[in-house]
Amino acid sequence: MPRQVLEVTLTADSVAADAALAASGDASAFERLYRAHVNRVHSLVRRMLDADEADDLTQDVFVRAWDKLSTFRGESAFGTWLHRLAVNVVLARRKTLGVERGRFHSGEDPLEGVSGRRETPEISMDFEEALANLPDGARQVFVLHDVEGYRHEEIAQMLGVVPGTSKSQLHHARMALRRYLDR
Amino acid sequence: MNDQWTDRLSEYVDGELANGERVALEAHLATCAPCRGAVAELRQVVARARSLEDRAPQTDLWSGVAKRIGAGQVVDIRSRRFSFNVPQLIAACIALVLLSGGGTWVALHKTSVATDTTFTSQADSTKWVPVAVWSGRTDAAIADLQEALRRNESRLDTSTVRVVRENLALIDRAIAQARTALAADSGNAYLNLHLADTMRRKLELLRRVNAIASAQS
Repeated sequence: MPRQVLEVTLTADSVAADAALAASGDASAFERLYRAHVNRVHSLVRRMLDADEADDLTQDVFVRAWDKLSTFRGESAFGTWLHRLAVNVVLARRKTLGVERGRFHSGEDPLEGVSGRRETPEISMDFEEALANLPDGARQVFVLHDVEGYRHEEIAQMLGVVPGTSKSQLHHARMALRRYLDR
Repeated sequence: MNDQWTDRLSEYVDGELANGERVALEAHLATCAPCRGAVAELRQVVARARSLEDRAPQTDLWSGVAKRIGAGQVVDIRSRRFSFNVPQLIAACIALVLLSGGGTWVALHKTSVATDTTFTSQADSTKWVPVAVWSGRTDAAIADLQEALRRNESRLDTSTVRVVRENLALIDRAIAQARTALAADSGNAYLNLHLADTMRRKLELLRRVNAIASAQS
């Protein structure tokens, strides 16, 4: 299951109400939903795709969400629904870009060339930089599993691989990041 | 560190090893310092991933979204499909009708003396006649629609049928109560209107549900 959706400023009820209003065409309600979720969506997109694609694709996610609100049945939290939609948009974009080739790289040192660890408050940025340099397959699985909380079975279904491949990619990603953290 | 367990350490960290494998790996860890170190570091990586904070985009992207969805323009709600399903819509409609009608009715009864006086005064001064005249034809129409619904029910999903039945029962109770009240106060304008409106709503509900069921065929 995805990690718990953080509704920082809005209660679940008001989010649900805004979702219903937005579904009926209320753009103001949809803007409130956007404000509440944009950071998470943008971070997901940035981690799974290149940073220079993140802005455009984040907008694509919200435009798609606006178009697809009729399919939101309220059976899950709006944030969970939106997040899954964002993952689908990212995966579709990656396929369009053709970057999936070689995504199941199993090299020993996928983070060769990543800058070293800095003992500064920006250390999380270093980690994100290392993450951005993982091979595509390992990066996707790591973000979906360790950052976002999806299970291997769900990831395998999303990526069209078997769960064992997802586990293997996750291990490669972790080992690479571990080495990076050792520097 | 490159032994048979190296590639299984993440599964161990995630608690995904079968019990026998876990026991064997833990026995190995007791004697292998590099693997123990790797496990600790893998846990650190997992913890770091979970602690990553979301960051806002460097520029406000809403204006681009708003432009693409046409925000700020007049939105034709007919062009958008609502996310509510049929049972939700029916329940919402019926609840609104009965809450507003029934609530007013109850309120009137609670202040029966003053309110009745008001109605009587209006009726007297304007020779007001209740606009809702119930006829046998309406009862026949309802009966026909209920029979049609009985035939069409199989085309609807069970949750819709359940909600429709519950709300028809609710309406029928409201109708029965209104008729009982009218039997004691046949000239009460509000009760006549409320009864007529409730019956009209029942007709609308039956027509709507039959239309939906027909569309499913």
